Amino acid sequence: MKRSLGSNSSGGSGSSKKSKKKNPSNQKTLGAAWGSGAASLPSSRSSPFSDFGSYMEVKNRKLQNQFENEASTGVSDSEKLIFQGVSIFVDGFTIPSHQELRGYMLTYGGRFENYFSRRSVTHIICSNLPDSKVKNLRAFSRGLPVVKPAWIVDSISANRLLGWVPYQLDQLNHTQPKLSAFFAPRRHSNPQVASSVTSSQPETGYSEAEEGSSIKAGDSEESRAHVADEFDGVYTETSIPEITAQTRTDDLKSSEVNADILGSYDNEEKELSSELQSTTNLPSASNNKSSHGKPVSTAAGSSVRRHSTLEDPNFVENYFKNSRLHFIGTWRNRYRKRFHGSFNGLKWADSGQSTAENAKKSTIIHIDLDSFFVSVVIRNRLELQDKPVAVCHSDNPKGTAEISSANYPARAYGVKAGMFVRHAKELCPQLVIVPYNFEAYEEVADQFYDILHRHCRKVQAVSCDEAFLDVSDVRYVEPDILASTIRKEILDTTGCSASAGIGSTMLMARLATRVAKPAGQFHISAEKVEEFLDQLAVGTLPGVGSVLKEKLEKQNIQTCGQLRLISKDALQKDFGVKTGEMLWSYSRGLDLRSVTAVQESKSIGAEVNWGVRFRDQQDVQHFLQCLCKEVSLRLQGCEMIGRTFTLKIKKRKKDAGEPAKYMGCGDCGNFSRSITVPAATDDIEVLRRISKKLFGSFCLDVKEVRGVGLQVSKLEGADPSNKGSKTLTSWLNSAPASVQTEKDDNVFAAEVKEIPDGKRRDTGGVSRLRECDSAEPSVQSGDTNSSLPPMCHLDMEVLENLPPDLLSELDGTYGGKLYDLIEKKRGKRKINNDSPHVSLDDMKVSSSVSVQMHGSSTSGGKELEEPHVPNERAIEITDLMPSSLSQVDVSVLQELPEELRADVLEAFPVHRRDQSSSSDAPMETCTKQDKEPTYINDSENEIGFSSSSLWFGNPPLWVENFKVSGNCTLEKMSEIYCKLAQSRPPLLSTVLQRALSEVGSFPDASANDLEKTVDDVCEFIEEYIEIKVEGDIEEIYLCFRFLKRLAARNQLFHQVNENVSPFIQALINEHYGGSLSIP
Amino acid sequence: MNMKDGNNQTGEVARTLVEFLEVAITMIVFLKGFYPSAAFERRRYMNVVVQRARHPELRDYIHSAASSLLPFIQKGLVERVAVIFFSNDNVPVERFIFKLTINPSSAASVNENQLEFALRSFLVKLSVAEPLVKPLPQNCRWEVTAYLRSLPEVGSSKEGELWIPTDTKQWLKPPVITPVKSLNSDPLCLQLYLEHPSLSETQPCQAQ
Repeated sequence: MKRSLGSNSSGGSGSSKKSKKKNPSNQKTLGAAWGSGAASLPSSRSSPFSDFGSYMEVKNRKLQNQFENEASTGVSDSEKLIFQGVSIFVDGFTIPSHQELRGYMLTYGGRFENYFSRRSVTHIICSNLPDSKVKNLRAFSRGLPVVKPAWIVDSISANRLLGWVPYQLDQLNHTQPKLSAFFAPRRHSNPQVASSVTSSQPETGYSEAEEGSSIKAGDSEESRAHVADEFDGVYTETSIPEITAQTRTDDLKSSEVNADILGSYDNEEKELSSELQSTTNLPSASNNKSSHGKPVSTAAGSSVRRHSTLEDPNFVENYFKNSRLHFIGTWRNRYRKRFHGSFNGLKWADSGQSTAENAKKSTIIHIDLDSFFVSVVIRNRLELQDKPVAVCHSDNPKGTAEISSANYPARAYGVKAGMFVRHAKELCPQLVIVPYNFEAYEEVADQFYDILHRHCRKVQAVSCDEAFLDVSDVRYVEPDILASTIRKEILDTTGCSASAGIGSTMLMARLATRVAKPAGQFHISAEKVEEFLDQLAVGTLPGVGSVLKEKLEKQNIQTCGQLRLISKDALQKDFGVKTGEMLWSYSRGLDLRSVTAVQESKSIGAEVNWGVRFRDQQDVQHFLQCLCKEVSLRLQGCEMIGRTFTLKIKKRKKDAGEPAKYMGCGDCGNFSRSITVPAATDDIEVLRRISKKLFGSFCLDVKEVRGVGLQVSKLEGADPSNKGSKTLTSWLNSAPASVQTEKDDNVFAAEVKEIPDGKRRDTGGVSRLRECDSAEPSVQSGDTNSSLPPMCHLDMEVLENLPPDLLSELDGTYGGKLYDLIEKKRGKRKINNDSPHVSLDDMKVSSSVSVQMHGSSTSGGKELEEPHVPNERAIEITDLMPSSLSQVDVSVLQELPEELRADVLEAFPVHRRDQSSSSDAPMETCTKQDKEPTYINDSENEIGFSSSSLWFGNPPLWVENFKVSGNCTLEKMSEIYCKLAQSRPPLLSTVLQRALSEVGSFPDASANDLEKTVDDVCEFIEEYIEIKVEGDIEEIYLCFRFLKRLAARNQLFHQVNENVSPFIQALINEHYGGSLSIP
Repeated sequence: MNMKDGNNQTGEVARTLVEFLEVAITMIVFLKGFYPSAAFERRRYMNVVVQRARHPELRDYIHSAASSLLPFIQKGLVERVAVIFFSNDNVPVERFIFKLTINPSSAASVNENQLEFALRSFLVKLSVAEPLVKPLPQNCRWEVTAYLRSLPEVGSSKEGELWIPTDTKQWLKPPVITPVKSLNSDPLCLQLYLEHPSLSETQPCQAQ
């Protein structure tokens, strides 16, 4: 004890003395606590404690009360309550001792928990951890911060709550900073802080990525980090992505507006150049950088970007904001929108065969802007024109950022794209590094294509700065002259030089461009093709990469001339049919491809392989969520929806060390898996679920993951008008989610075309009458609930087609929210509405992620099934007799015709017949008695190997969790479960049904913990649904309907229903290609 | 338990299932009131009162449709069996879907009686499922369609020749599903649910 005092800092010693005084009393109470515990043991047979759980509950409560009493008496008002909202759990030996820490907490307004509970504890205090706990930190800490006791001592001496991050346990600290700072519980979230954080968000444009991350005060990212640190639990994540998404689009819009205004302004100023420009063209905005109000590249550098998934919760978003590849990828979509529409009318009917036929006559120009990414940026900075310049996202001379493009003066020094800045600076110390300017790129690319389209009808866009023109049918002007006209125009308009190659095929044109560069043009006429190719190194052929080149060189083939000597067969034998064919024809200058318009993209996706570092499943889930959002946005941008989802993973190779490139992916193995669902979608919720499932199926260590990509293919137009023709085919093979490769028409049918017209109608009338009589499904009877359906269940299409007066009436009943909803849906599609609860799910679910992975991997398809499943499946099915009765709803039984019912009941033993025919609450009794084992076995089969699932065990984990939750509704639920579980574990639907009958006695949830309770309930229901979706939609349907009825009577369940319903529907849609009917 | 035994057992399960399907399909047709009720007679199957078609051709159609599925079910190829009712312009108005999965690995441990017990509940439920179904339009027809996981090789089996690829019209929108009955006890996972066109389905017949 003395030593511990001695080790305290001087500031803290005063207060620790105070606690020392209290120690005796502490000891006493502890003794009392033990005493009472011991005393209750002998009497436990008749005691109020039915089991250990309830005993612990009472004990915890008592300890808490003691603590509170002491706190209220012991706290002198002069002490500042610096630990308000902090609740610690002390693990193991600490200095100062845990009694002292308890005293500090008492004095300074904190809480002290004797027993660990994820719900109440906010910090774990310890000075030493055994290895096993360090290794398995997540299981031990449940995501809570593990902090050294010095944090408390220092906080007291500073008389304010210090950020815990510097006090993190050293054993854990050697890794990178924790993401948990962002994920910590939001129990004590401060609304003011949250709002200030979100409002500081609109941070756009280029952010300079400084590896040294020199911190500049006052910038938004940094201040957010501070805020997060100080409150060490402020949960800001859920709201931010949405807001940023919005601001981002707003920004885009405003930038367009700006550009337009600017455009017209410039038009007046430069009439000369505008003569040359088409109407759609934006004039070269030579001064746009300065006149733009927006923070474009020049305003960059103020914010510090975070470098990995570990540190930055918005990593994915920022990543794509700063990615050149992303720009190129999304550019194509932009191009199609801009140009394809207007040229759509011109179908190149002749392009197919005719070009192939008169291939000899055809002339193709390949045109390429010289060092596009550099020259666009420096086009208006004359002082840089002749200096070596390179584009890179980071200007740190020591950095390992890669140069993405270098201009010709720089190339003269040997600076190349893909080189690290560090190396480039060694080669050329005066090298100027400039950042990307994506807006300028877009502008120049648009101008570039405007010019091309004006001169030629057949333009194939290769990239934003590169295109093929088919000028075979342009007779009135020589291709050389045309090419130079175009090049001059490009130079005049954009200020960037272009090079052109002219050849008889796309291949030759492209090769010619290589000679022409920079700022030149070159024509390889048909006669010179051979001569040109003879000396051409094979490596320069497009499609010949380093591997192929090496292989060829092994065979002593260096040039195309040598390549030509080898027969096609031999090539195909050595390199495969396709590659062989390609080599053979390329070496002869043949290229059968013809210039075609931009093709519909086959797939849309996003991939991140820089800065990807995960620590645990939670990180992964968060990352996937962001990635899915990005993909979903891209899909929506292209107005596409897709059915096949492919997840690509880059995994660090076993022996690969930390990559040379900072945060790069290094040496990786690539894996990919895909899944096809029946209904095409762009819904973020579905994407998230699927990607999660796919990720789970890889079964790999998340720490090894270096890159993740999500690709969506089998695309269809999202536009409902054009959906008809396409979805028809998709419905033909509307098989539920299957991992296997799909065949398109696996539908067989035996058909009978008997139409016994006359006969049928006689009876048809009768049967129809009867149907009308019993319009309500029998099970539903008794529920006279006429409340409005929740807004989320309204069918937008129906709403939109309503006559206006009816709509306004409806709107009235929904309190005016309906119009907003419709506007919102029209404007943005579903996604933004969904995202809040989506991310909530994510947070909640992640604590049991491993479980669901397993669960879903079994349901995902045979390939993924764990080898040991069969064993577990082999659990014997016993006593099927009762099962068959329980599967018969009693309500159904009652609806049976006399004779039939008699028949059915005959099949059951006597005592059971009594139960089921007694009319009062018959279903409960029989389900209670006759719970069939099959369901239970089955659910255990599916999740049996994942012990942390809420539905694992008997009783399932959630029962215990709910019991100790301290929330009346949850306790009630677990009570109901236990009551029903007399003989066998009941189904959720049974529990819900009972809850429905007792819903009146449910207390109204207090507002403050409503949200958490809703989350808890949602979580356990959603897990259940996931378990059942594959095999038992009947049960899901029952739960779905009971939930609905509960929702009408109880506020809590209303919210649960709002959250869970879309989840259920999405899941059903994924597995069954439809939605559950809403009774 | 050797492989052969397991296969035999799968065969058993499949045979029971096919028999069951035959009865169930008949029940569905009866339930829909497609033919006058005099066209059916009461029978007892698995100890439950069921209906059987009197007309030999109808009976034969249903029987052959079900039994010719046997080889495919045994191979685990059949994913769903649908009984589809069409309006007179050949647009489906209602589909009864049997979604089935047989897990061959645990087929061995099941015995015939147990399976029958489990299947019986379907028949009971079907016999009272009338409130769930929609009234039939006039001049309708119906068919049995099987959805296979993959196409069997052409000519690989004689049984397959009775079946023809279908170009059944489909709905444009995901349908609304009403589950009727689920059975999830190894080795058989069987679900019966109804599909109706979604409300927003706009006159697909005109669109086509």
